[in-house]
Amino acid sequence: MKDVKKLSRERMLVSGTGIEIRKSICTICDPQTQCGLDLHVKDGKIVKVEGSKEHPYSVGTLCSKGAATRQYIYSEDRLKTPLKRTGPRGSGKFEPISWDEALDTIAVKFNEIKLQNGPESVIFFSGYTKYFRPYLKRLAHSFGSPNYLTESSTCHRATAMAQKLTFGQPGGPDLKNTRCLLVWSANPFYTNPGNARAILKGRERGMKLIVVDPRETPTTALADIHLPVRPGTDGALALSMANVIIHEKLYDRDFVGNHSYGFEDYSEYVQHFTPEKGEELTGVPADKITQAARMYASIKPAAIMPSASPVVHHTNGVQNYRAVFDLIGLTGNYDIIGGNFVVPASFLHAPGLILTREHEFIQTRPWSEMAPRVGADRFPVWVDVLDEEAQAMHLPFQIRSGEPYPLKALIGFGMNYRMWPDSKGLLESVEKLDFFVNVDIFMTDTCKSADIVLPACTSVERSELRCYPMGYIIFTQPAIPPLYESRSDVEIIYELAGRLGLDDPLLKAGYEASVDWILAPSGISVAELKKYPGGMFVPNPIKLPEKKYLKAGFKTPSGRMEFKSKVLERYAGRPGFEALPVYTPPKHSKESTPELAQDYPFILNTGSRLPMFVHTRTYRLSWTNSLRPNHPAADINPADAARLGIQQDEAVRISTPKDAIVVKANLTQMVQPGVVHMYHGHSEADVNMLFEGDYLDPLSGYPGFKSALCRIEKV
Amino acid sequence: MKDRAIYLDMELCVGCGACAVACMDQNDIYPEKDQPAFRRIYRVEQGEFPDASIQYISVACMHCEDSPCLVGCPTGAITKDECTGAVIVNKELCIGCHSCALACPFGGPRYDQDEKMHKCNLCTDRVEAGLEPACVRVCPMGALTFESANKVQGMKESKFVGNMVKRFGHRLAYMHFGGVGFSEK
Repeated sequence: MKDVKKLSRERMLVSGTGIEIRKSICTICDPQTQCGLDLHVKDGKIVKVEGSKEHPYSVGTLCSKGAATRQYIYSEDRLKTPLKRTGPRGSGKFEPISWDEALDTIAVKFNEIKLQNGPESVIFFSGYTKYFRPYLKRLAHSFGSPNYLTESSTCHRATAMAQKLTFGQPGGPDLKNTRCLLVWSANPFYTNPGNARAILKGRERGMKLIVVDPRETPTTALADIHLPVRPGTDGALALSMANVIIHEKLYDRDFVGNHSYGFEDYSEYVQHFTPEKGEELTGVPADKITQAARMYASIKPAAIMPSASPVVHHTNGVQNYRAVFDLIGLTGNYDIIGGNFVVPASFLHAPGLILTREHEFIQTRPWSEMAPRVGADRFPVWVDVLDEEAQAMHLPFQIRSGEPYPLKALIGFGMNYRMWPDSKGLLESVEKLDFFVNVDIFMTDTCKSADIVLPACTSVERSELRCYPMGYIIFTQPAIPPLYESRSDVEIIYELAGRLGLDDPLLKAGYEASVDWILAPSGISVAELKKYPGGMFVPNPIKLPEKKYLKAGFKTPSGRMEFKSKVLERYAGRPGFEALPVYTPPKHSKESTPELAQDYPFILNTGSRLPMFVHTRTYRLSWTNSLRPNHPAADINPADAARLGIQQDEAVRISTPKDAIVVKANLTQMVQPGVVHMYHGHSEADVNMLFEGDYLDPLSGYPGFKSALCRIEKV
Repeated sequence: MKDRAIYLDMELCVGCGACAVACMDQNDIYPEKDQPAFRRIYRVEQGEFPDASIQYISVACMHCEDSPCLVGCPTGAITKDECTGAVIVNKELCIGCHSCALACPFGGPRYDQDEKMHKCNLCTDRVEAGLEPACVRVCPMGALTFESANKVQGMKESKFVGNMVKRFGHRLAYMHFGGVGFSEK
């Protein structure tokens, strides 16, 4: 008994233990959550991690990933020093080198390439996490390269594209005030506990809840109506709902009549999508579609909660989400309290109720003064409406073709090659580059192919700026110094800028000076933020009126909300680029490729969240792994498993025409019959290998990760 | 303090596992060393998609009032903590005979590499210091609470009344439940 007592006493903030609390935030996941951490530090070591009670988003709680922070920080897989590759690419043979040698080598190499091939031949890539992105983008552009690429090429940008094509500016769901919430393929109980708590509170005050989700989740369990859509058919479902809303005259005549463009054509197109047709296309019973449409359209205010990527992880994804977002305009719920209210982002896509100079900071030179971005020709709408970055899905194609110009070097921050479809092909392409650097916390499979690997530290060992929608802001301070020789990504970026000899005043002035510059319009300074290590409410939150479009119009070519996109009208005749939100079944599906579907009868749906993982970031931790001991495992409906004679935990082969993986079977009613769900990124069973590299939405370049065709069989 | 226990509101549990991880962090449990977790999450499914009921349950030692494990232990290694009422194992006295496991109706006791019984200790030290158990402290949905039986019953009643109000409107609540105090959340 004694030893138990002694052990746990060392984990508590009580007098005599010598423990002191340092504040930080968790950035293991990054969907604008960043829960507050109370790090219990003793003798320079973190001995216990708890949520910060005063943090307004996380209110003292953590999820299973954040609760595993201590194991994450002290993982044996941490990179300890900069490394130089000594064996062949992928061999994992490296020798330690000094920071000076590493950074000088990179700077010399990049400047050589700049001279010989132009700055655009150097790629600056950001994976997870995202806090350093503004500084990395600035580094890329100050260097002269348009090729700042990120993991957002498969994450949220395509959703933003659909929102921008429709409204010019996205409006988020006002969870606090809405009376009817339509959740479209999101399950915040696994990904965003703050939003999940807001849904629970909404339910307590009588908020109606409609959830579109191909799975059964804790969110669908709470719903008044669950629409169990077949993966990749969201557009047809939304058009069917619109059919009911228009047919029953439940739409907002004022908004549609005075603030929209293309309603007549849209309305005519929607006529084809009767609820019965909707049922045929989506698998959702017609009466449920009708009920949901009536509920969403007749309760005011109503809001739609989209997800970052599930709906756009289809080859028809952007058109599908356009059809969904049209419902917001159709019902007049755009930019109203309790509807989809427009709050401009302050920093890192998060609204913080302050004005900043983030955009000015990151775009040091206009796109027109640089070479075209990777993928600019192939995905022109990306360039038309998205200002942030290049489309990384085109990267392997341009490396291989060398067109319109050759790519020579890449520096990745947290790059994971398993993010791409045909992941093996991507890695082979990257290995063809002259020079490849990866910065990471751990020795990952991607690092193994790099020429130089740099050790980054975790969020608790560095400083970062974050904003929160309730008008809260934090500039964290390191709770412990960076472990081993690791450094913060930002420090690496600023060091590199110096050695590259860039004539950039803010990169020369340093990180904190840059943050001060970005925050200047808000009147908040780094010095002030440092006085509040756990964060603070912004002193003068900006107040936003409803219906800002009445004065400012919509940031679309027509100045109105566009049922029919004027941007897409320019591409008339190009398949997938239809100006109306035309529904086309997924590229590989029973409807599009019936012959393929005979051999590969299951829908392969990958990457839908599990509560203990966010991508691969907690795969190496025994604490989170223990929550899903049979992983890597594919979720299969018990009815399908019974038909195929597959038992729980038995080995199954999942194959597509491209490749196959062997995993365990996890039988669950969470998945609908006919669908196999597989979580992504496993070293031993990488499901992204099963996708062709060009299995992409032609509009956004997003991979169709959530609806391809596959076969499963018992091994 | 003795009357407080950990309660799970099954309506709120979503099986995220934060409680199990926080427990491992608190108690230095490493599954890779074959150390079993004190707290485990179960998923119970009934019915068929899309109308299946999927229930999550977070389970650990119940710290029974009348603990069969304690009665079954031949060496007196299992005792009730006087201050918290927690069922505690003294590993020095445990001989790894598994009598407690046979006696426990919930499958609580597990054994570590040394064949010593290993289970939730109700975070006794935290509780003595006025803190909540680690699993309760972390729970993002507020599904786990550490309260007295009466308080929990009161909470349940409030919830029930709240549900009735939502279902039938305020009039009924005043008529039939007028005497019951429940707070607006």
